[in-house]
Amino acid sequence: METATTVVSSARFEQGLSYGDFLAGAAVNRDKFEQNYRNPVLTEEDLIFFRKASELAEGPRRLLAIAEAWCGDVYRELPTAVRIAESTGMELRIFLRDENPDIMDEFLSNNGKSRAIPVFAFYTADTRYITHFTERSASAHAGLAFAMDEAKAKLNLPPSASFGNLPDSERQVFFQEVISRIEPHTEQWRRDAVKEIRQLLAAALHLPDTA
Amino acid sequence: MADPNEIPIVYTIRGCDSCVNLLKKWDAENLIYDERRVEVSQATLDEARRYGKMVPIVVWPDGRVEQGFEDSFGCMI
Repeated sequence: METATTVVSSARFEQGLSYGDFLAGAAVNRDKFEQNYRNPVLTEEDLIFFRKASELAEGPRRLLAIAEAWCGDVYRELPTAVRIAESTGMELRIFLRDENPDIMDEFLSNNGKSRAIPVFAFYTADTRYITHFTERSASAHAGLAFAMDEAKAKLNLPPSASFGNLPDSERQVFFQEVISRIEPHTEQWRRDAVKEIRQLLAAALHLPDTA
Repeated sequence: MADPNEIPIVYTIRGCDSCVNLLKKWDAENLIYDERRVEVSQATLDEARRYGKMVPIVVWPDGRVEQGFEDSFGCMI
């Protein structure tokens, strides 16, 4: 991140994979990446915002993504980052999380405990850090918590119930209930991620944002 | 050697903390299992998706299927 000791130098950034190379090396989920790329969630207004931001003197010209092809959040969100890069001319470089632990360590979440991906980190043309987005939107995190509360209510489980303290049989039913409540919202959460990325950039660059 | 029909199958991703923790527990208990890594093969991933949406996915010899591990939500596949 924005530290004097960052490992993300210009030379290191340039070692990242292009999207084409990332996809070519992906053992799984190529169909999901392609499907989400073909179904972009960016509006014309979003694209105008990202273009305007990228044209600023200190604006984002480089986009670093940390990803792994097996991760559901990655195949949902990375195609959005690809679209942003393509529409603005930002240089996108992708780093595999498990092969680049030093870069991942700069973007840990959950108070330094989680190596959540994807990470989208924006940099200036000379690779100075601007801001970054991690994993999924705040609305997705809130939606997951809400889905868990709803599932507990439906199954008459106590508020203290969690995956860890239920017997196996109840845990699996609870799990299925939560999943069934999450799935209808994933497209909205992709759109919310775009809003959040816009807000992060707007705040970092002191740009107005009406997303 | 264990009868393959009498040991659990576990679908994992090596980068998934829940998967790693489950296997650590099983290894400590000397449980024999058939690990199938979904991140290395689309065919294995598709096979896992027949049972669930979140690794680790355990298919026990009696047919029971479990997803996730302890208090963690696991990784969606």
